[in-house]
Amino acid sequence: MKIKCNQNNFLNSILTVQKASSVNTTLPILQGILIEAKNDHLVLTATNLELGIESHMNAEILDTGRVVLPSRLLSEIVRKLPDAEIELEVKDNYIVKLSCLNSVVTIQGLDPEEYPALPQVSDGQKLELNQKMLSEMIRQTIFAVAIDESRPILTGALLEVSGNTVNMVCLDGYRLALRRGRIEKAQKDRSVVIPGKSLAEIAKIINDDNIDITIMVAENHVLFDLGDTRVISRVLEGEYLNYQQIIPSEYKLRVKVDRDILAASIERASLIAREGKNNLIKLNIKEGKMIITSNSEAGQIYEEIPILLEGSELEIAFNARYLSDVLKVVDDQELCLDFNTNVTPCIARPISGDQFTYLLLPVRTFS
Amino acid sequence: MSRSKRIILLVDMNAFFVGCEMARNPALKGRPVAVAGNPKNRSGIILAANYEARSFGVRTTMILSNALKLCPDLQLVPPDHQFYEKVSKEVMDLLSSYTPLIEQNSIDEAWLDMTGCQALFGPAEKAAKTIMKDIHSSLDLMCSIGISENKFLSKMAADMKKPMGITQLWQDSIKEKLWPLPVASMYGIGKQTAKRLANIGIETIGQLANFDQLILADRFGKHGIEMHRRANGIDTDPLIPRREDDIKSIGKSTTLSEDIVDLDRAKRVILSLADQIGITARKYNKKGRTVQITIKYSDFKVITRQKSVKATNLTKHIYQAGKELLEQVWDTALAVRLLGITITGFDEEKDQISMFEQLDSYLDNREEKLEKTADKLRNKHGMSILKPASLLKNEDKSH
Repeated sequence: MKIKCNQNNFLNSILTVQKASSVNTTLPILQGILIEAKNDHLVLTATNLELGIESHMNAEILDTGRVVLPSRLLSEIVRKLPDAEIELEVKDNYIVKLSCLNSVVTIQGLDPEEYPALPQVSDGQKLELNQKMLSEMIRQTIFAVAIDESRPILTGALLEVSGNTVNMVCLDGYRLALRRGRIEKAQKDRSVVIPGKSLAEIAKIINDDNIDITIMVAENHVLFDLGDTRVISRVLEGEYLNYQQIIPSEYKLRVKVDRDILAASIERASLIAREGKNNLIKLNIKEGKMIITSNSEAGQIYEEIPILLEGSELEIAFNARYLSDVLKVVDDQELCLDFNTNVTPCIARPISGDQFTYLLLPVRTFS
Repeated sequence: MSRSKRIILLVDMNAFFVGCEMARNPALKGRPVAVAGNPKNRSGIILAANYEARSFGVRTTMILSNALKLCPDLQLVPPDHQFYEKVSKEVMDLLSSYTPLIEQNSIDEAWLDMTGCQALFGPAEKAAKTIMKDIHSSLDLMCSIGISENKFLSKMAADMKKPMGITQLWQDSIKEKLWPLPVASMYGIGKQTAKRLANIGIETIGQLANFDQLILADRFGKHGIEMHRRANGIDTDPLIPRREDDIKSIGKSTTLSEDIVDLDRAKRVILSLADQIGITARKYNKKGRTVQITIKYSDFKVITRQKSVKATNLTKHIYQAGKELLEQVWDTALAVRLLGITITGFDEEKDQISMFEQLDSYLDNREEKLEKTADKLRNKHGMSILKPASLLKNEDKSH
């Protein structure tokens, strides 16, 4: 195998697939990147068996062939090479010679036959999504995915398609984030649970372009096809929670509040709350104002912000992080918060539209 | 190096319970009023009397019938502790706006560390005036304030002028102001200690201050050294801000009216105690993971045994664990004079409500509801309205 390519393009491809390469693994081959010279282009592949990424790039192919190179070493060398043409040649025993201007590096490679092939995802349900929308859907939900493995299904995000709507849902037992999107072409009902870790890497790869991405949902895998880059993730097995049951449809009081004002107060209160054992923030909702307080060994804080209140007054307490997390991801200026009692869920959403719904459960402090 | 002097205020609410009642019902103002255990029961005692009533000689803890002899027009109000606690919290909240360093000493008094607050509220006396005015205008209550450099002297100062007095008592003036007072009036010295001090010829605080510290230490132990220091105006105790969240354990013990060897009687005692700590634990919403029992035998030997439980504040669960522990250690050869039960190991995280809660602890929630309803009934109608059935039987027997 012998190819010539541009240093910058090569580096970009390496960095894209590297997100799927394993750092700590019992299979050393998975720490590598598979480089394949096809007839007219170069394909880079990395996988940790849960997530696989494949990147196609232009290159001058002098001789086809394949080799596996250690991911970290390769990316660090290529990053430090000048922005010029790189020549890559595989010698005997998988020794790879990299030449660029006045530099020549030889690296010990690995046998490409040992590298696991990415699963073929070809016969699933096809879905066209706007990249920018998908990126937002992930950003606005993924923070609520469960970290704790005690209910494995919750470590994934539910992607749910029905007619012209597509929903992404993450929940960890204490809060839930739901983002709705629209698709042009109506689809038959289908849902899949994608590991949160995979989704986080996918979010880094897709860009905010207003172009579509093709998603293929198969039995055990889901494929995100961005043209030059293909991402394949294993899906989580099992039944996802019937989340709609948890979201209350009625409320006793509704608070309308400016996001920035609320966020600034919550951020300040969080500084005090985080010093305490349970990271607690108390909200005292009154006519025209919300009083936000927190006490911990470190001190105490009192914040008063203007609100519009419909309904009765309420005192309720939350884990500070569950509040601040959501305020970081909503873009709308005006939010509304719906409550029933201080031991039942609070629903936060932008005043206009139904794209985003966040549910958070309170902490019992007022009995 | 100059030792920087602290500025400590003790804010003591004057005739607090009666003050609360007069604030709630201004018609009582200007008349002799007392809060009394149970006005219907003529053997009740006076819990608090206003200054008008005091001028007739009515005093706290006086038997009701005696008080009525002294002051036949005395207006009696039944106590409403929930209300006093609510007002107390309002007072503490108000005080907290002057300094974050505040230690509540009882329902009606608190120390405030105002060191370094001069820039905000002026000299200590001016700050005290502001606080007194604030309490009077926003809560319609009276207080006395003692100003000094430590907790002890500020407490002594506050007691010197009531009601609505502001008194400064600094260490350099204790010879004139503190030493002539009888030791019995000293904070931290009760009737018994005062009697024992009198036995060695100490009647005034001054005599105590000049007494040999070693002899005091010998007779009274650590407390002897402490009272000697205090009599000399020395008290380095810091203010310890207390909060409800700080509760580490909830326990209750009782010395039995006679030593017992009967396990069933012991269980009933534990049930009654478990019921009381359950009520407290539910009030503060604390769920414990460890139940411990204490047994003191007739020879004063004490043992404790403990057991882990699923985080709970339910009487039923606390009692169940206590009963099992009792059964394990009970020995009919040993007479027991004291029994106690404690719940500890409070779980903070548990308070976060989870989506799976209903699945996980549906039954617990039902139990909790039941016991909390019982708490509410008892709050409204008194502790004796509801009791575990086995305790009722017990009562019948004893009557």
